[in-house]
Amino acid sequence: MSTIVAPSLERASTIKAGGKLKFVIGGLLILGAIAFVTLNSFQSNAIYYLTLKELDAQRATVINQPVRVNAPLDKSSIQFDDKTLTLKFTLKDGDLVLPVVYTGVVPDTLGQGESVVAEGRLGADGVFQASTLLVKCPSKYESQPAGSSAN
Amino acid sequence: MTDFAMADLGYVSLLLSLILSLYAAGAAFYAARRKRPQIFASARNAIFLVAAFTTLSVGVLVSALITHQFRIEYVAVQTNLAQPLLYDISALWGGQEGSLLFWAWLLAVFTAVVLIQNHDKNQELLPYVVSGLAVSEAFFLALLTIAADPSIAGFFVALPLNPQLAGSLVGNPFRMLDFTPPDGNGLNPLLQNPGMFIHPVTQYLGYVAFTIPFAFAMAALFTGRLSDVWIRTTRRWTLFAWLFLSLGLLFGMQWAYVELGWGGYWGWDPVENASLMPWLTATAFLHSVMIQERRGMLKVWNLVLVMLTFILSILGTFITRSGVIQSVHAFGVSSLGPWFLAFLALTLLSFLYLLFNRVDRLKEENELDSLISRESSFLLNNLILVGAAFATLWGTIFPMVSEGITGKKVTVGAPFFNQVNGPIFLALIVLIGVCPLIGWRRATAENLMRNFLRPFAVSVVAALALIAVGVREWYGVVAFSAVAFVLTTIGLEFYRGTLARHRQYNENLVAAAVNLVTNNRRRYGGYIVHIGVILGVIGIAGSSFYQVDTQANLKPGETVQLKQYTVQYDGLQVYPTASHDAVTARLTIFENGNRVGTLSPEKDYYTSPDPNQSQSTTEVAVRTTALEDLYIILAGFDSTAGTATLKVIINPLVVWLWIGFGVLVGGTLIAAWPDPREEHALVRARVKEALAQA
Repeated sequence: MSTIVAPSLERASTIKAGGKLKFVIGGLLILGAIAFVTLNSFQSNAIYYLTLKELDAQRATVINQPVRVNAPLDKSSIQFDDKTLTLKFTLKDGDLVLPVVYTGVVPDTLGQGESVVAEGRLGADGVFQASTLLVKCPSKYESQPAGSSAN
Repeated sequence: MTDFAMADLGYVSLLLSLILSLYAAGAAFYAARRKRPQIFASARNAIFLVAAFTTLSVGVLVSALITHQFRIEYVAVQTNLAQPLLYDISALWGGQEGSLLFWAWLLAVFTAVVLIQNHDKNQELLPYVVSGLAVSEAFFLALLTIAADPSIAGFFVALPLNPQLAGSLVGNPFRMLDFTPPDGNGLNPLLQNPGMFIHPVTQYLGYVAFTIPFAFAMAALFTGRLSDVWIRTTRRWTLFAWLFLSLGLLFGMQWAYVELGWGGYWGWDPVENASLMPWLTATAFLHSVMIQERRGMLKVWNLVLVMLTFILSILGTFITRSGVIQSVHAFGVSSLGPWFLAFLALTLLSFLYLLFNRVDRLKEENELDSLISRESSFLLNNLILVGAAFATLWGTIFPMVSEGITGKKVTVGAPFFNQVNGPIFLALIVLIGVCPLIGWRRATAENLMRNFLRPFAVSVVAALALIAVGVREWYGVVAFSAVAFVLTTIGLEFYRGTLARHRQYNENLVAAAVNLVTNNRRRYGGYIVHIGVILGVIGIAGSSFYQVDTQANLKPGETVQLKQYTVQYDGLQVYPTASHDAVTARLTIFENGNRVGTLSPEKDYYTSPDPNQSQSTTEVAVRTTALEDLYIILAGFDSTAGTATLKVIINPLVVWLWIGFGVLVGGTLIAAWPDPREEHALVRARVKEALAQA
């Protein structure tokens, strides 16, 4: 029996000596890989989230670049062609106006939206081609009863 | 009862609960430090009273909601005369104040249950557990009763009796209006879906239940009783919490799938991420505790995981409820935000303080032996799960961070999350197959060959078969061949176990299989959960990689074709209901030329005197088979011309996602079912700890 036990004990002690290090290195490698993939994907997918003013100021540099714009919605401007599912509206902030075109299923909340986050690209013609729309309502699924003074 | 009496009763109950919670927190702590059992008995009674008073308060709010006491602001905002009773009740968690009350109530009841469960056990830990739970309870009760809006009044608690300050209270669900509106606003029509009744409830049950294991972890840290007793004691609470977090994910996805009308169930929205992150860390915790139970290792890691899960649960509620990320309001303006952040910071700091003070007691009882072992593969699984949680967290909160630091807001969308989490989850799937079959301590080459040769062969065959039938996207091939690998490993595990019983006890194969599971509930319940996850992966992979769609504007009688389906448009139908006007497109569906049924996608219009409150909802029509969903949206119509524009989507294999969740629930229930083996293990752990303490 002793001939079997002795070598395995010896082996156990050598493993202990270098044991922790390899796990630390292995763990760090994996975490490093995940961090690398995260940061790398972040760089390649990050897009600017701009107000209308910022978009206007950077007009030249953002043309045809993916951006997200957050601006108040001019509700009177909404036009929807039910045959082609083309939605046109303008975002309006003071004097600044941005015409937006979007094709697809219209978010149900658009009618009561106060502002819109549109993701897409600003064309050279000044029209924003949106690929996704996020409509922001006055308050998330809540609103004050008309005429109330809550306080 | 008048509306004023109801509001007062509800509010005073909460105020009393707050006082009792603070008392219980202090008394339980004092009783433990000074060894005064009679004082702890008094703390116990206070906890039971808190459960009773919060129950009363919830009862009052629900009856106010049902009977439409519109003078109470919350009732006026959340309900109206037209909406069905179901949604009047679900208004309890439909708004911020109500959901805080719901949280406080669940926590109070859970705390009482913990006291009952442990009336003769864990007497050393229990006072600290109760103290911690009572602090957490007091935080939510303070938000409901006396916390002021920090943007108006700073970090300040308002005395409710002072009418000048009452207006700055943020979370009081019983706040009164100064007039009685004739009707209320009602629940947003988008939320009027059975999902509203079940999704938030399951989500909250999951979030709140995680407070229990966390409180035990903190108590273990405080007392220095850091063996596996606290883990084994809370095992079923952890499973309960995890089960409900899973159900929360499931019902949320199903709701999004049928209600939002974009053809998917997951969009990496911040609120969705908020529910995924604690699920990921909780999943890691469920696995890593096995290492501590079995080998006395990873003690600090387990404490950190349960802390992370708790913090991410609170953060999830905060993100969902405050609107801090989606809302136009900048960070910090949201009235509850600072309170939540302060609570999170305090929790984190006290955890870290205790951890550093106890570091000498957290010595590992064993060391890792080999890179190829069960322990290492569990560690790897943990690193991956926590890595996925952090990558998701990074993408979710980075927009706020970047704005705070640079003033420029940078954001990422679904492509980022898919790109990062895709490979991470693929690795995780493979590990699901690998982990349970690697030997403890040190796997031998023989062990590896015996367990993995056949599954590996099956996965190669599956990959070749997919390529042979024309699947070319490498992502799909890799995902499905990984699925084949894992299913084979689990199948072999069941097969070997069954065969062994069949030979050893001379049972027939069915009896052997059943006994195999019922005699090893935790282990085989876990395997069944794994099968559920893998079925879910089949659904996710199919619908993510192979979705096809088309759209068409049709006159009555015209058709649109998508793959083997022909969709014939028969005309519009417009009709009013009690709460809305409905427009439906009547469709006849043909598959390979054979009529297989009808579908009617719908648009509902909810009108309101206030045009800003008028809204439409989209009710998609879905025909589900084992292979694919035919998913049709009425995207536009012209009621005078009678034409309709349809968006038609084929989502392959989606049903397997829902089936997978069902299997997961079954497996979790099996694993959580009372098991004498686990009871014995807990008793042994207690004895071992008592000996060590002596």
